[in-house]
Amino acid sequence: MNITKLGFILGIFCVSAAFALSAVYESTKGKIAYEKEKVMQEALRSVLPEAKNIVLTTSPDGKEYYCGFAGDDTDVPPVGYAIVAAGKGYSSTIQTLVGLAPDGVIKGMNIMYQQETPGLGTKAVEIKYGEKDPWFQRQFIGSFGDTVAVDKDGGKIQCITGSTITSRAIASSIKQEVEWMRSKAILKPVQE
Amino acid sequence: MQRTIVQEFTKGIGSENPIFRLVLGLCPALAVTTSLENGLGMGLAATFVLLCSNTIVSLIKGIVPPKIRIPIYIVVIATFVSITEMVMAAYAPDLHKALGIFVPLIVVNCIILGRAEAFAGKNGVFRSVVDGLGMGTGFTISLCVLAGIREILGDGKLWGYPVMGQSFEPVLLLILPAGGFFVMGLLMAALKMKDMRTAAMKRTQAIAEK
Repeated sequence: MNITKLGFILGIFCVSAAFALSAVYESTKGKIAYEKEKVMQEALRSVLPEAKNIVLTTSPDGKEYYCGFAGDDTDVPPVGYAIVAAGKGYSSTIQTLVGLAPDGVIKGMNIMYQQETPGLGTKAVEIKYGEKDPWFQRQFIGSFGDTVAVDKDGGKIQCITGSTITSRAIASSIKQEVEWMRSKAILKPVQE
Repeated sequence: MQRTIVQEFTKGIGSENPIFRLVLGLCPALAVTTSLENGLGMGLAATFVLLCSNTIVSLIKGIVPPKIRIPIYIVVIATFVSITEMVMAAYAPDLHKALGIFVPLIVVNCIILGRAEAFAGKNGVFRSVVDGLGMGTGFTISLCVLAGIREILGDGKLWGYPVMGQSFEPVLLLILPAGGFFVMGLLMAALKMKDMRTAAMKRTQAIAEK
């Protein structure tokens, strides 16, 4: 058998595989997007519990964040904000969604994506038996300004044992986003 | 000697167990077996791909030129892995999130190409389906055993629930990649010891009968 014929046969197999894949892609596309959206909406609700209406907003320099409003009226000042923070952890880029009060106090945070070391870094999303929310993430609620840092850096976030890099990545990425929002005057200035 | 259908199925669990006997597909076996849930998920996903690829490979074996059989097998396997990944993302998003990078890696799982080459390319559809099911079951059981031991000793939990009590200090090493090799090695040593005992027993019996 010459090479042209072999190539042709292989080509036929590849084309049929491509058809099969495109069919599956088309039929699952909607459901995958819906699942992603659902996860995002649930996370937004958990970090901004007071907000009834959450609107995606784009800042003048093209960065996206969410504004939460108490009612349907979106002309009043928002009751809170949410923003996605990303920090380089030990083995992945950790994405977190942070909910903030208008004065910059953290109302809630949710780790959206991480691929850290199982049993070490993944403790960041671990829920202890009998509890409802992950203990590591709970520590962020109520923190403000410079206290959003791990204990080794002088903050009040207790590191995960053996996972300082993961803990630090999460804390510093959140702090960075809060500072960005403050620098753009989205958050109220710090009251001395 | 032609095996019976039942033997075709059970060989994947026992005498030709992909992990402990053929020692194939160790990369996913060691990497994902940090919790029972991941082990079972990976096992089932690989079983599904193995079943589909064995079926298709045995169906097309007559029209595949021997010279390009490996690339064609890979195309078939890769297609099914992509389908599995998309379906998983749509209908089991939590599992998809947990398995992450290891789903695409099923493509290079040597068990699947190994069975296509060694079995499905030479046997009929029915036998290939049974072979795929048996090998998949053997792979899943092995993964669950590895994952169960590592989760209990390395994290003090099983299926996410604490089972070892408050005072138990988890052996973190077992959750880390190196721990996978330790558990795997010890289990294989135990199996080997059992084999040698059985062989020795048979020898003594044979001598006694003489």
